[in-house]
Amino acid sequence: MNINKDISGRVWLLGDHVNTDLIHPPSCFSLDEDKMKNGLLVGMERLERKMDQTASSESLVIVAGENYGCGSSRETSVRALFAFGVKVIVAKSFARIFYRSLVNRGIVPIVCEELHDKVSDGDLIHIIFDKQSIIPANKNHISFPPLDPHIKKILECGGLIPYLKMEQDHFIL
Amino acid sequence: MSKGLSGAIIEQHTDGKKEGAYLEVSVDFVLLHDPLLALILPDLKELGKEILNKEKILVTVDHFAPPSTIERADMVKQVLSFVEEKQIHNCLVYQGICHQLLVEGKWLKPGMLVIGTDSHTTTAGALGCLATGMGSTDILYILITGKTWLTPPDAIRVDLAGQLPPYIMGKDIILDILGSNGEGGFLYQAMEFYDRNMSVSMDDRFAICNMVVEGGAKNGLFSPDEITRAYLQKRDGKAKSLLEKTEKEPVYDSKIEIDLSQLSPNLALPHSPANVCPVGDAANEKINQIFIGSCTGGRLRDLELAAGVLKGKKIAKGVRLLVTPASQDIYIKAIELGYLQALLDAGGTILNPSCGLCGGIDKGILAADEICLSTSNRNFQGRMGDPNSLVYLASPLTAAATALRGYITDPREVM
Repeated sequence: MNINKDISGRVWLLGDHVNTDLIHPPSCFSLDEDKMKNGLLVGMERLERKMDQTASSESLVIVAGENYGCGSSRETSVRALFAFGVKVIVAKSFARIFYRSLVNRGIVPIVCEELHDKVSDGDLIHIIFDKQSIIPANKNHISFPPLDPHIKKILECGGLIPYLKMEQDHFIL
Repeated sequence: MSKGLSGAIIEQHTDGKKEGAYLEVSVDFVLLHDPLLALILPDLKELGKEILNKEKILVTVDHFAPPSTIERADMVKQVLSFVEEKQIHNCLVYQGICHQLLVEGKWLKPGMLVIGTDSHTTTAGALGCLATGMGSTDILYILITGKTWLTPPDAIRVDLAGQLPPYIMGKDIILDILGSNGEGGFLYQAMEFYDRNMSVSMDDRFAICNMVVEGGAKNGLFSPDEITRAYLQKRDGKAKSLLEKTEKEPVYDSKIEIDLSQLSPNLALPHSPANVCPVGDAANEKINQIFIGSCTGGRLRDLELAAGVLKGKKIAKGVRLLVTPASQDIYIKAIELGYLQALLDAGGTILNPSCGLCGGIDKGILAADEICLSTSNRNFQGRMGDPNSLVYLASPLTAAATALRGYITDPREVM
């Protein structure tokens, strides 16, 4: 994705330690994209969160607590989020495999302690990447630390597979 | 400055190429299993690149083993076709759970850098490797380049002191650590264990390293010692060199010391492996199903100790006991040694080695409001069945004692 382009989106607020079994239950594992997406809905139901399907045309920004995406490495959780149009996730902290997989599949993970307590579900927020700044509706700017240069490079390519292609093309040249 | 033995292993695997905080490292061995290999087959095909080193990978079919739906059968078929087409030699079908097969084979030795498609790849750290899990796309990159990018982790030294009482297992030790430090207590860190009196068996070490990821750790490893050497000697029929002693003492960010002799059998309450209390605090909770198995609690010592409790006795009326040896090799040995006979006589059901039950994939699925006590590694809500089922995690000894009584029981009461 173009990580220099600003994003506006609606907040889904989640708590701490939301694991990948909840995000996308293991019984929903499938290679079929529609089934994969459906796994996310099953997971949301388990979190007692109704996902507004009509909102899928609008950018969704997940705002999570600590250790978001802990547990299994099943990348279906990340692929389903991507298929649903999630472009950015802001969390107090991310589980390490999940963080890597988000980057690898082109979703921007932003580590930000402050935002979680300042937004509610459905709030409109605006993210300005080059200023490392998040603006919640009617509230002051919240800044977040810059992305690591390696992570930024992968995201600018659109994920790890395009990054790999770029690296290998470069190597051949 | 590099931290711990893990930092030293990373240093030995890099030529210094760096991007941001990430170092490019070469990977010694890659573990892939059926669903998470199937996930990247379309990408691999589209890329049209070759696998760099086919001898350095192990493919297992263990999650859908054997498959229970047409869709899963198709995924296994795709994986097996890929293995045949690419002529991958190390492929084990229905032979056991990948993390057990990885340490049973002759591939790994201390100091290696090992990456797997599964979060519990940390298990292999018990052999003194830096072993960790990654998502499928990361694995695709490694298959093609032989390399990956890692940030050198902060390291925690965990000293296991004192003698291990006969009623305490590796599971109790790691649950104690997770309970004290929380589900994200070791985020991104390396946990390095020193078994000061060499009282923790290799099977218990596998259980401990298996579950470091439940605290968020990047990896867990046991500093190689005589127990490591004996394991490798028995496995390979010849001695393997251990980690070369580094010139400097490894540096640690923090230290934890655990007196094994003071531990009580532990229990993780629903729905987190870090929601831990002594077994005694939840005693008398009625249980519907007991599961002894998985890459955490289905090894030979696990079956031996469970069989020891249940031999010549019957499990409580109304309780279902399901047993899954972690590999075919363990299965065969447990038959020869009479452990499975004892568990069968007691009323247990033996299932073939697979990940099915632990991951709620197939067999033993829990209905709403059912309660299971499991020797596996995760009790997340809905993982083993209905979102309204409950799962407790405990050692195989506690599981056997609980099967006997029908309610949560401290193993000391029946040993």
